[in-house]
Amino acid sequence: MIKFKNVGLHYGAGPEILKNLNFNIDPGSFHFLTGPSGSGKTSLLRLLLLSIRPTVGEMKMFGKSTSDLGKSELMQMRQHIGIVFQEYRLLEHLTTFQNVALPLVVRGEPESAYKSNVEELLDWVGLGHQMHVRPELLSGGEKQRAAIARAVIAKPDLLLADEPTGNVDPELSERLLHLFVELNRMGTTIILASHELHLLNKFKFPRLQLQNGGINVSH
Amino acid sequence: MSLISQMLSKSKTSFPIVPRQSIAGRTLAFLVAIMTFLSCVTFGAVYLVQNSTMAWSSEVGRELTIQLQPVEEEKMLSDIRTAISLAQQSGGVARAFELTIQDSAELLSPWLGEKFDISAFQLPRLVVVQLADPAKFDLEALKSKLASAIPDASVDTHALWQQQLNAMAGTVVLSGGLALILILTATVLAIVFATGGAMATNREIVDVLHFIGAGDRYIAGAFQERFLAIGMQGGFFGGAMSIVFFFVASTITSAILPAQSATQVELLFGQFTLGWLGLLGLVLVVVTIAVLTAITSRITVHRFLAQIAP
Repeated sequence: MIKFKNVGLHYGAGPEILKNLNFNIDPGSFHFLTGPSGSGKTSLLRLLLLSIRPTVGEMKMFGKSTSDLGKSELMQMRQHIGIVFQEYRLLEHLTTFQNVALPLVVRGEPESAYKSNVEELLDWVGLGHQMHVRPELLSGGEKQRAAIARAVIAKPDLLLADEPTGNVDPELSERLLHLFVELNRMGTTIILASHELHLLNKFKFPRLQLQNGGINVSH
Repeated sequence: MSLISQMLSKSKTSFPIVPRQSIAGRTLAFLVAIMTFLSCVTFGAVYLVQNSTMAWSSEVGRELTIQLQPVEEEKMLSDIRTAISLAQQSGGVARAFELTIQDSAELLSPWLGEKFDISAFQLPRLVVVQLADPAKFDLEALKSKLASAIPDASVDTHALWQQQLNAMAGTVVLSGGLALILILTATVLAIVFATGGAMATNREIVDVLHFIGAGDRYIAGAFQERFLAIGMQGGFFGGAMSIVFFFVASTITSAILPAQSATQVELLFGQFTLGWLGLLGLVLVVVTIAVLTAITSRITVHRFLAQIAP
């Protein structure tokens, strides 16, 4: 699904953030992306989200080289990717239901087609009773579950998560990780970035370890 | 205003992806409303002045005056009769009549006062000639006949005044047109800044839409729809306020101002009545500003999206 060959990245004239990355991600796999602060986890996730392009090397996603793709093709490819952020990034003027439905709305689906799916998913993540409230009334854990629901509602092939447990308590963090595991069992490929090693140690998944700009894949 | 907003926001989605209410949006609506009001008032004022000038010009062109130099009373009465007779014999003349001493006194009363004794002065006497058809009237023939019968008589066609009037009307229309162009230019520049500011304020929404797979076209469409709705709201509000302005101006002129001041204002602007053509002009100004808002915001939104392209 993902192939990195000698990929490097630097911003403008700045230092090289990522150096000579070589790794493959198979469909249906679950990887933790770890590394100290400033090691380039977010930059690697931005590359995977097609938000930036590598400075050197070749990056293939879903069988296509991303360097050959135009802006509209990148946007098309991005529709196969879901993303969860540490800061949730829910739209404050929309309700939980509307936030979760957003990826389907931008794909042009009518409400009649997605209404029951969104309601079912919100029930599944435990937000069935908070469907019509705005994010400001949700707790941190509820916001993150809404963000996860938004990331997976369009059934992405790849789900990226950037420190999804960073703003919630340890108990809820574990429950959220179980939610990701459930999604992975349903077939979604997941790359989850976190620096909370004590939490990650509770799960046996391969790790992409970033250190000094390079990457080490451990199983 | 909310009805217009709802009509324009009627898109594929049942909820607004771009927030309907925001400070940046309200600023833009307020700005468009002010600019539309100024444009409409400028357009309306130019339209009224031009209409009044055309009416004066037409009136003045249908009238001329024969001026008879002061002589002894009996000779003067004879000259007046001769002048009236010669004028009435000319083709295209509707009527010719003497302007009496009392008529002259009334005309001069705004400057000399009601109690001023005009009979103490040796003033020229005037014969007013009103034309039914200026094309059939031969001015040179009348001048020639008058020169033979009353050598001191002179004819004033008000041509010089008419020329000055037309020149003034042209200047007013040109200045108004330039003012309108400047206001529209300022509107475009202000919309560029306001739209840019609104886009920056909503950067988070743009980023989230990008992350969930929305293309630039979709995002631009959502924002443009919102900006057009704001432009239309502001435009309609500004246009409506300008109509209220002309109504209030008309009421003040006819009901509040002293009669002489009201006459002066009405000479320049008429009754402040725009009529259907004037109102159509105001609608065109409103539509022009709404379209300008849509085009300007479209360009600004696309530039903004191009700048943040991956």
